[in-house]
Amino acid sequence: MAIIVNLDVMMAKRKMSLNELSEKVGLTLSNLSILKTGKAKAIRFSTLEAICKVLECQPGDILEFVEEDRD
Amino acid sequence: MSKTNNFVFWALYSVAWIIFVGLSIEAGGLLVNFIISLYKPELIQSLYQKLDLTEIYKESRLAFFCYYSFILTIAILKACLFYTVIRLMHTMDMSKPFSDFVAKQIALISYYTLVIGFLSYLAHQVTKTMMHHGLVTDKLRPFWEDSDAYILMGGVVYIIGVIFRKGVAIQNENDLTV
Repeated sequence: MAIIVNLDVMMAKRKMSLNELSEKVGLTLSNLSILKTGKAKAIRFSTLEAICKVLECQPGDILEFVEEDRD
Repeated sequence: MSKTNNFVFWALYSVAWIIFVGLSIEAGGLLVNFIISLYKPELIQSLYQKLDLTEIYKESRLAFFCYYSFILTIAILKACLFYTVIRLMHTMDMSKPFSDFVAKQIALISYYTLVIGFLSYLAHQVTKTMMHHGLVTDKLRPFWEDSDAYILMGGVVYIIGVIFRKGVAIQNENDLTV
């Protein structure tokens, strides 16, 4: 997929575990896992806002656009 | 699911089982008829529905095999249709009905129904043409007189299947939205 989720990178930078993030953001572990592994099809603004608040970052730090190879 | 819906569901499940058993017996009986009419035509009178097509066999083998192909294919497809209905009702999770499996089974039911309908219609037209050629085939009418109903039902089920598939796609997208 062209949109890469760099949640694990930000979590590593903040030295935060998935459990801790899940508690602070108020998302279930399975939903966070879907987001982290790039299986998510969409993300709500409210979720993005909560994650950015907890990780003290910008949405661009979590989401990245990478052009896919055409061949 | 409410108590009434639950009762209706199980009642329909039982009816589907009864119809499936009936259709399987019919298909089996017709198959036996076909084999017996080829090898021991004198026993036909004591067999299922007394479907004696030996006259047609004597006049035209092509017409005989054509009729029996229609009869057997339609009978077997009807049994397959109800087997699919039973499998759907047996496996379906009523608390979470929007799944790929259910969408596929509904599509399969619509295909079976449409094929049965079109085959019955074709058989009906062939029978009409054969009547003009002097082959008496009036006793075959009950096998394909409900072709219109099957085509209509197949169309309706197909539309429901398409809507259901869209519902499954929306549910999947909703499940993967965090």
